[in-house]
Amino acid sequence: MVSEYKKSALSTFDKHEMKPLAEPMPIRLRFRKTGDLQYISHLDLQRVMSRVLVRSGIPVWYTQGFNPHAKMVFSMPLAVGTQSLCEYLDIKIDKKISTDEILARINSEVTDEMRFSAAYVPKSKLSEIALVSYEIELCAKDADPEKIEKLLTTHPLVMKKRSKAGDREVDILDYFKSVEVKREENIKLCITLTAGEGSLNPEMIIAALRENLGILTSDEESYTVMRTGVYFADGRAFE
Amino acid sequence: MADKRSTLLKSVSKPGRYSGGEYGQVIKNKKAINARFAFCFPDTYEIGMSNLGVRILYGALNAQDDIWCERVYAPWVDMEEKMRQMQMPLTAHESGDPVGDFDIVAFTLQYELSYTNVLNMLELARIPLYAADRGEDAPIVIGGGPCAYNAEPMADFFDCFSIGEGEENLVEFTRLYIKMKLAGTYNRRDFLHEAAKLRGIYVPSLYRVTYNEDNTVNSYEPIYDDIPRRVTKSIIKDMDKAYFPKDLVMPYIETVHDRIMLEVYRGCIRGCRFCQAGMVYRPVREKTPEVLCNQAKCLFEATGYDEISLSSLSISDYSRLPELCDLLLDWTPKNMVNLSLPSLRVDNFSRELMEKVESVRSSSLTFAPEAGTQRLRDVINKNVTEEELMNTVGTAFEGGKSSVKLYFMNGLPTETEDDLRGISELASRVIDKFYRTPNRPKRAPQVTISVACFVPKPFTPFQWEPQDDLETLKKKQEFLRSIITDRKIRYNHHDAEVSRVEAVLARGDRRMSAAIFEAHRAGQKFDAWSEFFSYENWLAAFDAAGLDMSFYANRRFGDDEILPWEIIDCGVTREFFARERDRAYAEKTTKNCREQCSACGANKLGGERSWCPNTKNPL
Repeated sequence: MVSEYKKSALSTFDKHEMKPLAEPMPIRLRFRKTGDLQYISHLDLQRVMSRVLVRSGIPVWYTQGFNPHAKMVFSMPLAVGTQSLCEYLDIKIDKKISTDEILARINSEVTDEMRFSAAYVPKSKLSEIALVSYEIELCAKDADPEKIEKLLTTHPLVMKKRSKAGDREVDILDYFKSVEVKREENIKLCITLTAGEGSLNPEMIIAALRENLGILTSDEESYTVMRTGVYFADGRAFE
Repeated sequence: MADKRSTLLKSVSKPGRYSGGEYGQVIKNKKAINARFAFCFPDTYEIGMSNLGVRILYGALNAQDDIWCERVYAPWVDMEEKMRQMQMPLTAHESGDPVGDFDIVAFTLQYELSYTNVLNMLELARIPLYAADRGEDAPIVIGGGPCAYNAEPMADFFDCFSIGEGEENLVEFTRLYIKMKLAGTYNRRDFLHEAAKLRGIYVPSLYRVTYNEDNTVNSYEPIYDDIPRRVTKSIIKDMDKAYFPKDLVMPYIETVHDRIMLEVYRGCIRGCRFCQAGMVYRPVREKTPEVLCNQAKCLFEATGYDEISLSSLSISDYSRLPELCDLLLDWTPKNMVNLSLPSLRVDNFSRELMEKVESVRSSSLTFAPEAGTQRLRDVINKNVTEEELMNTVGTAFEGGKSSVKLYFMNGLPTETEDDLRGISELASRVIDKFYRTPNRPKRAPQVTISVACFVPKPFTPFQWEPQDDLETLKKKQEFLRSIITDRKIRYNHHDAEVSRVEAVLARGDRRMSAAIFEAHRAGQKFDAWSEFFSYENWLAAFDAAGLDMSFYANRRFGDDEILPWEIIDCGVTREFFARERDRAYAEKTTKNCREQCSACGANKLGGERSWCPNTKNPL
């Protein structure tokens, strides 16, 4: 009466049949975190990702310590409420598998909101990311693009920034590399910020709009924040 | 257009509780659906997503092409406030559609303290709270889960209850709904009448209750001749063939039990006299190791979870545990999957077993002796001796564990001061045992004793017993605190007022719906969360309903009294409960089902591979 266990087409167990590599090989994955996934914290994402890797059957290299776990390094954590088209995850593999197969396997285990768009052997470090661009779309009836542009280009724009060392006041425009205000159906702000040490959470920009212009304060208004690109210090697209 | 949902989600804590979109969720084409089923868990997402039963039933219903089952959880208070302010109704997780638009709205009743959440969710869903007020367009509201065995306190709010095991029963119920809808014969009254003929479906409005002058129940009378006089629970006959999910909805946020839970068997051979689960899930029905191993592999592939928990009432009583462990350990370590066994009994816990399932991370072990002296353990039929406990903790200490958690109850029938002292003394002897263990760890030992208040539960040998009054419960808790002086012993106890309300709700009758309604009106919700429980509000609610809490909690129910829950037949007979109660007072234990049949009556429900090959006829 007992039916045999049947492996699915792309099985989690396949990795045991792949050829071992002499050295663990680094692999970089690019994925998006869009739609409802914006509500998932970075900590939760890490846990979710380790399960995605397991069920995809990718031969991920595990740390060899007391408590072995899949080695994962993420690019800059996203704040809850921010979406992204360009998240990066570095892993290592310890068996032979093509990057195309990695991509196919992993995409069969995620929803569309977490689609992976690239897998390759990296030539750079994640810490070389120096700039990050965001697109902020405002659905606010009283928003005036001129006022917004003036606010976001006139130093200083002082906001309270919370950090481990306590609250301190900063001019958030110090983090701005560029800003463009577009008037489409809604207002769109294209902003490039400096990244790395002490980066700016784009929610601070929303807070500044709220406090200074009184927009986005009612339930009838909404906004989205999308991370659209990350760059090296010289402005080249990160890869 | 502003996106109201996004504004809502960005304004609340833990928005991942509400956003949905999980990998593994079931989305169906509404046009190809004949019945939409909202499965509501009246507590937070994190708790609801951890419930194995809900995961099974979600899968079983969605395995039907023309039924779409979705999940619904109680919004946390910040979310609720915002929903009310923005006038947004309660919606289902998958589609985001209002729960009020569904065909069938089901609530699982896991604990009495979630009752106010049920009412709050109905209100947020804009469904009339009282079944009698629901029109033809309103969903059919059905309840299930362990508390449905005494559904009477919630009877006024539900159109019907599913009693017992729901995998097949809920599908059958929904199929009947579809059949009548498609045939054009559906209306609320006729549907409920037909449903009442199904095994395991209890429609409270079809039974008239009369009461005696002393407020006890006089009779339950069905209002139709063609529905059963008592409702027999539904039961799965062969667990190997029972529906078990091949995949799961994978939560994005951390939940309470975020792992594969493998149900190894149903029922329990033990028969602890306070334990409702051990009685109402009888008879024992096991799955075979091969089936379990296949199910575990399937779920591992579908989820990527790194832990498999073998789940059952008393896992070490599984007759083929070593075989199962071997089958699982054949593939789990190389896939970095941990095996965990909760609820190990102290009497047959072996070193070998512990090593096999050792999860390196935990240095703590949990045991439930439940009572402090052998006399009282015999009274409650917890067939565990101190020697067994000492051997077991010795094994654990040798195996590198240094902290032990012990669960007890106070206020058990026949309890004396000696029994309370016994709790403290037992904990001390566990500490002594640690220091007498040669290969003990270098750390200092820690014994945590957690003492719950006895709550008499329907369908147990102690169903007639009074609970200690509030003052006595508190006095006993204080006494225990005063005699525990060793700092290596940590003492926790449950809130006596909470336990009292549990006892009241557990043994309530149909009139209690009025009190629960009053508690809801006073704003009670999330009663299982200490920050929201308010004893004062519950007192006021019972006063307003004209009911006396003591009548339900502190009264010894009469031998010849009709108990409110006896409209339900859980398989085990009243005669068995009475026999067991008498043996408790005689301080006599009863053998477990595997050693000897005690003729509890559950075997009449059938069930292949049950533990009842030598069944006696009911005495």
